[in-house]
Amino acid sequence: MYIPTASKFDPDERGHFGIFGGRYVPETLMPALLKLREEYDAIRFNKDFWAEVDYYLKDYVGRPSPLYYAANISKELGAKVYLKREDLNHTGAHKVNNVIAQGLMAKRLGYKKVIAETGAGQHGVATATIAALLDLECEIFMGAKDVERQELNVFRMKLLGAKVNSVESGSRTLKDAMNDAIRHWVTNARDTFYIIGTVAGPHPYPMMVRDFQAIIGWEARAQILEKENRLPDHIIACIGGGSNAIGMFQHFLEDEGVECIGIEAGGLGIDDKNGCSLQKGRPGVLHGQMSYLLQDEDGQILEAHSISAGLDYPGIGPEHAFHHDNKSVTYDYITDQEALDAFVWLSQKEGIIPAFESSHAVAYLKKLPNIKDKLIIVNLSGRGDKDMIQAKDLLHFD
Amino acid sequence: MKNSTKNLVAYITSGYPDKNFSIDLALALGENGVDTLELGVPFSDPVADGPAIENANHKALELGFKFKDLLEISKVVAPKVDTLWMGYFNSFYQQNMQELIPHAKSLGVNGLIIPDVPYEESLAYKELFDAHEMTNISFVAPTDSEERIATIVKDAQKFIYMVAYTGITGSGTAEDLQPFLASIKKYTQTPVYVGFGVNEKTAKEKVKGADGVIVGSAFINILLDEQLSKSQKITNCAKLAKNIKELINE
Repeated sequence: MYIPTASKFDPDERGHFGIFGGRYVPETLMPALLKLREEYDAIRFNKDFWAEVDYYLKDYVGRPSPLYYAANISKELGAKVYLKREDLNHTGAHKVNNVIAQGLMAKRLGYKKVIAETGAGQHGVATATIAALLDLECEIFMGAKDVERQELNVFRMKLLGAKVNSVESGSRTLKDAMNDAIRHWVTNARDTFYIIGTVAGPHPYPMMVRDFQAIIGWEARAQILEKENRLPDHIIACIGGGSNAIGMFQHFLEDEGVECIGIEAGGLGIDDKNGCSLQKGRPGVLHGQMSYLLQDEDGQILEAHSISAGLDYPGIGPEHAFHHDNKSVTYDYITDQEALDAFVWLSQKEGIIPAFESSHAVAYLKKLPNIKDKLIIVNLSGRGDKDMIQAKDLLHFD
Repeated sequence: MKNSTKNLVAYITSGYPDKNFSIDLALALGENGVDTLELGVPFSDPVADGPAIENANHKALELGFKFKDLLEISKVVAPKVDTLWMGYFNSFYQQNMQELIPHAKSLGVNGLIIPDVPYEESLAYKELFDAHEMTNISFVAPTDSEERIATIVKDAQKFIYMVAYTGITGSGTAEDLQPFLASIKKYTQTPVYVGFGVNEKTAKEKVKGADGVIVGSAFINILLDEQLSKSQKITNCAKLAKNIKELINE
């Protein structure tokens, strides 16, 4: 059974990973965050809580997710590539690992209402799912632009019984959805639990969500040792906020020979519109945390761009910002076009249609130098079903 | 004036619609009952604010507001009206706090109000504020325990910003403020000013037991009214200030 372990990369008492992280929120929210921290301390290593999580992860989500040897692309690359199949989870991505645990926490703390922000809708669908399962009232905040382009996920959330609020302010995307979710939370802090979808936001969320997602790396480590009797040379994962990546990296970060590589959204290119907070941003404060942000010289937050709505965010989780400066993780980027090519490549070579987000990690296999004979794990964080309409418009198969 | 005079703090969004208007408005407010001016720094993502102030923030940015405009406004206004800067932390952090705080002081600005820097995060900058005799205004919220209130107000200077309800600026939710006020007053001599949802209709009720009020959205609603000319906006804001100042001291 998975239970998190303390890490040398745990934040300090006030949630700082070096200069990053922290709790930059209105005072109204501080008591809720302090209470959440206390509650999390009480369950972090608590067997009863994790036994409950374990039950749902096995029988409801379908864990453990397979570590699949991708023979065809391995042959083409001259390397050994394994895919961690988070795409096979119930609801289609790694997001569900986190919402199961947060949902159970909300229940334990006596909350009856949960809220969440969502970009592409994956975290919204996952939250609406767990709310249905655990009988919680659920409200989802989604940018109006995303509501238009992710019509099917909006319907899914409604079908699951959630209320979807279309956010009209600012750039009308994930950033603004998060602003409104925070506003709603400030207003209803006493009776509403905020289920944040990634390793971002104020402490303790980045640490908590990382622990909830670290089951990915915990399983992958045991699986690769069983199959190959050794640790991989490289581990690759895509990064928006960075929860699938940190979840995957967590159990390998202290291994000398393993290089963890996080892939940001290169969008239209590194000197054009993109989502490369680490490459093109600098430290600043947004949504409760200090991290790398895409911003202008005055600190106004800029719009990100990516083909994948899940990576379309101008910030990144604070622990990634720390790993970047600390050089404990390697970071690079993949453009929209490279991701789209990889989307087709994996579909046609392995019969696996990856999410646009995960396609960024897959694409890096072709960019990674000296790949010959290397043992590599790619975190396939989600499946591509949600991207079909967009893909159909971009790819013209006749 | 008697010592018991209750104070009025007015928030305006700097640079909306332009720098010179902000200067004229600020000076007019200073002459019409406003004791302390909050010069708001427009930010792309003002999460503690409701629709009115958010809208004014975005419009100011669309009209080209830059941080240097705040410096120019302050240079004229701060010597004449007690001035604080109100902004989200990123706006200040990007200017380099070590340089910004002495610069603000040199312009005559007396302190900062930063709604997304709670007590714990403010500690890192306490020495810097103190060294330049600048105030970093402390917030207390209705969700705070008495123990937490005691911790926060211990070092509070100038005034304590009492958040009148759990929510964002400019909404109308009413909570009974008396028990909350009493638990603040138990631990501090620093004046307590009530903010959030204070307007002409609510000011008299909200100021009971407190030492002042902070008014933002009520002024911003006037600024956002497209039917009004610039001079009408200034006249109406001045009238509103004068009126609220009288109401809280009735």
